[in-house]
Amino acid sequence: MRTRAAKRTRATAAAALGTVLLLSGCSGTDPADEPMRYLSLAWQTQSVEANKRLVEEWNEANPDRPVQYVQGSWDNVNDQLVTAFEGGDPPDIIHNESPALTSFQYRNYLADLSGDLPESLRSDIKDEAWQTVTIDGEVVGVPLLQEPQVLIANADILKEAGVRIPTSEKPWTWDEFAEISKELTVPGERHAVAWPLDNAVNRMLNLSLNYGGTFFDIGADHKVTVKVGDEEREVVRRIHDQLYKDGTAARAAVGMTASDPLPGFYAGKYAMVQGGVYTRQQVTEQAPDGFEWVMLPPLVGDSAAQGATSQTLSVAAESPHREDAADFISFLAEPENQVDLALGDWLLPTSQEALKAPELTTAKNQWDVATAASDNLEPAPYLQVAGFDEWKTRVAQPALQEYFGNRISIDELARRLEEDGNVVMARYETK
Amino acid sequence: MTLTEASPPPTGRAAAPRPPRPRGGPDRSALSLMIPALVPVVLFSVAPLVYGIYLAFTDARAGIGIETSFVFFDNFAHLLADGEFWLSFRIGLIWAVSVTALQFAAGMGLALLLNQDLRLRWLARTLAMIPWAMPPVIIGLMWKLVYHPEAGILNATLMDLGIISENLDWLNDFALALPAIIAVGVWTGMPQTTIVLLAGLQNVSKELHEAAEMDGAGVWRRFTQVTLPQLRTVIIAITSLNFVWNMNEFALVYVLTQGGPGGQTRLPMLYAYEEAFRYGFFGYASAMGVAIVIVVLAVLGLYLRRQLKEAEA
Amino acid sequence: MASMSVRRTAARTGQYLALLCYLVFLAAPLLWLVSTALKTPQEMARLDPTWIPLAPTLGNFAEAFGEQDLIGAAERSLLVALASAVLTVAIALPASYVLARYKSVLNRIALGWVLVSQVFPFILVIIALFMILRQFGLVNSLVGLVIVHATFCLPFVLWMLQGYVRGIPRGLEEAAAVDGAGRWRTLASVVAPLLAPGTAAALMFAFISSWNEFLFALILIKDPEIQTLPLVLVSFTGPEGVARLGPLAAASLLATVPSLLFFAFIQRQFKGGLVDGAVKG
Repeated sequence: MRTRAAKRTRATAAAALGTVLLLSGCSGTDPADEPMRYLSLAWQTQSVEANKRLVEEWNEANPDRPVQYVQGSWDNVNDQLVTAFEGGDPPDIIHNESPALTSFQYRNYLADLSGDLPESLRSDIKDEAWQTVTIDGEVVGVPLLQEPQVLIANADILKEAGVRIPTSEKPWTWDEFAEISKELTVPGERHAVAWPLDNAVNRMLNLSLNYGGTFFDIGADHKVTVKVGDEEREVVRRIHDQLYKDGTAARAAVGMTASDPLPGFYAGKYAMVQGGVYTRQQVTEQAPDGFEWVMLPPLVGDSAAQGATSQTLSVAAESPHREDAADFISFLAEPENQVDLALGDWLLPTSQEALKAPELTTAKNQWDVATAASDNLEPAPYLQVAGFDEWKTRVAQPALQEYFGNRISIDELARRLEEDGNVVMARYETK
Repeated sequence: MTLTEASPPPTGRAAAPRPPRPRGGPDRSALSLMIPALVPVVLFSVAPLVYGIYLAFTDARAGIGIETSFVFFDNFAHLLADGEFWLSFRIGLIWAVSVTALQFAAGMGLALLLNQDLRLRWLARTLAMIPWAMPPVIIGLMWKLVYHPEAGILNATLMDLGIISENLDWLNDFALALPAIIAVGVWTGMPQTTIVLLAGLQNVSKELHEAAEMDGAGVWRRFTQVTLPQLRTVIIAITSLNFVWNMNEFALVYVLTQGGPGGQTRLPMLYAYEEAFRYGFFGYASAMGVAIVIVVLAVLGLYLRRQLKEAEA
Repeated sequence: MASMSVRRTAARTGQYLALLCYLVFLAAPLLWLVSTALKTPQEMARLDPTWIPLAPTLGNFAEAFGEQDLIGAAERSLLVALASAVLTVAIALPASYVLARYKSVLNRIALGWVLVSQVFPFILVIIALFMILRQFGLVNSLVGLVIVHATFCLPFVLWMLQGYVRGIPRGLEEAAAVDGAGRWRTLASVVAPLLAPGTAAALMFAFISSWNEFLFALILIKDPEIQTLPLVLVSFTGPEGVARLGPLAAASLLATVPSLLFFAFIQRQFKGGLVDGAVKG
């Protein structure tokens, strides 16, 4: 019995060694001979399909400079990229979003593509979108898909209440929205609106442009100061009023992230939910049969301007294939390809040509309303701030959570965003 | 079998052909037993670890072509004054101590049950491992669904039972968020604790138990007088490690609360992680890591000393 | 006598009840996962969730398996997990014996390392580790992943095994030493068999840590052809905690079931009979 056990131990050790040897690894070849790696964050079925199909198309047309599709995911891409960049082995083509590019540029991770993109692409995408990826004069990515903030409403409730349905030509103002919200609220039964406010910093900053709230002053010497004046307070104050003064916004939603309020929305607990244009995808998929919904164009304050964040494609600074990678990105950004990618993710293309495509201007699934909203998108100053990410997670997010939880006043909110914020900014002054 | 009983060096029996040397270095065959473990450990664990500790004394930052210089104890000086970090440290200690204690209590109960001669014991043992078997990717999402303030099964069940009269926002309430994630922490760590204790229980001498029963000792007395002392080594080991692991946990909490609401669940490891991977201050983050190591080892040292004293008493 | 047996029965019933409570707490999320995997997107977004799907569907399974190579990924994960479990235990067993039986400098260093390596945020060692693995050509290979998984399981496995070794009466080994057995032989013929329950626990731990491990795999594996299961699972998740829950739940079931089967197998294999008697010393 004992000897058998001894034999077994030895046998398992041998088996382990054997298996290790069997699992053959890739040998280290010259990175310049390897295919370009495209780390894609597409995750919706259609969008993954569109991406893979475009990669195949490219590889057929360019057998000498092939691209390998690598699936990434939004939640972990930062860990993956930081390790790969620091370890000197990043993917060549990187899918991300514009707020992430600032700190990457600051760390010299990304290639400047200003000389590598064709004129047709440069002119097809609006300057406002280019500004979201131009940092310190370097073009560190190509903006591809954008997401305006909208409201999605229960059409039956709106009709029943007899309120004016806003259109892209004549949207609601914030004042009108506040008034109508009172009409749509049935105490104890239904709130007019659910604002999912758990992870809301970017959205609040983007919406605050409605009243000219920029939150950051960038001096000529690149010195950044946080400022929270009347313009910056306007939007958050109005939301806070809805929650605690008017009682028209659901407090239950304060702790929710983007799609959490949807079950309550389908059940008629909320007449409207705030979300991005991609929220339509979930609504079409999940809403019970016969549920009528309508997407409302963005609200208007002093203007309809909203901060734009875009999904982007960049090239790693250390990639040996910079020009080829830039060509591949230009290929993905061609108008007809952008249409496919936009449809796959239910977002808006940056290409002006693509925005005219019939699929994106149809009333079906309210693409027309979504597309019209793209006119209002402007680059927000926070995209140029290297310490934004830290300010956001360490200062703004907790402070906003406390403010929307009605635990601190708006003055205290402003004080924290500014004072604690400027301490953060100071860490990023030297490069 | 207690740690101290086991610790005294083997008394070199004269009859043994190769008497082990008691306090000096290990003999050659002992070294040969260590080598297979030593090589990967030195290469892939100790080396990166030493490098990580070294970073704590530099101003290393994320970035390509960025110069790093040695700053001695600057990072630690900053850290001492970093009130936010120590606040998160307090949260971390509350979290780690409560999760460890609850894991131990619950795990011990389950291990005792699973050690009984019950029917379908193998099935129960397997089912008890479920939290361990579920991929971490889905665990956070599952519990988020369970805690969902409106569509969550927990609120629905508690309402049905009449325990609560209105939906609770578990993960976003300033008072509930920490207990809510502690419950998830206990759930996740139960199988590990249980299985280790169970393996220990199987080695508990049955004769001693029977002898105690003959002497008329009740269940509880048999447990405290016979079972616990024999399990002491295993208990010390698993609680220490659980404590260390819980201190190190952040991924699960990150999925559930992202440190919110208002920083109520920002564990120190989450803090260090963000400092390094989000903001890119590798040097400072490493200093945090070193500080966490020092405090945790101090806590563990106290704990181990107390346990050893009790063992001797 | 009668009251005695009544008390026995009552105690037994109590034990079964307590066990049931435990299992409900531990297993409910798995049931919920099964339920989710069988629900339509519409049903998942209902306010009053039910345990039993109103309109059960296999659509999520079709979607998950149609879109991703889950089977291939599961095969690779299984291979990696088995290899690293066996490797971990094979190198930990002798080392834990030394740690338990010799009080030496090495011993103290080793235990110190075990603790420090577990406390120090591994997120801070990961970049250095990545660079070392690159030097050895172990990036983007499953062998590299096996070695990393084994290395990182080792502290726990060592720590536990040396605890179990200490529980073994020394007399047995001394007897073997008297018989002239060398240290390797003593280990293999006397200690290892007595450690069966501990070894089983260690194997399970190493297997499951590797099977579920995500971060190292994310960072080390570049080639989509050799992705392990956890990497494929996250492809169903999007930004801000939004996920395609149905397919994710379906795929997660695939990831959960093999571990449970493995557990059941180990349980039956090491039912305790192996050690009974030998340890009483």
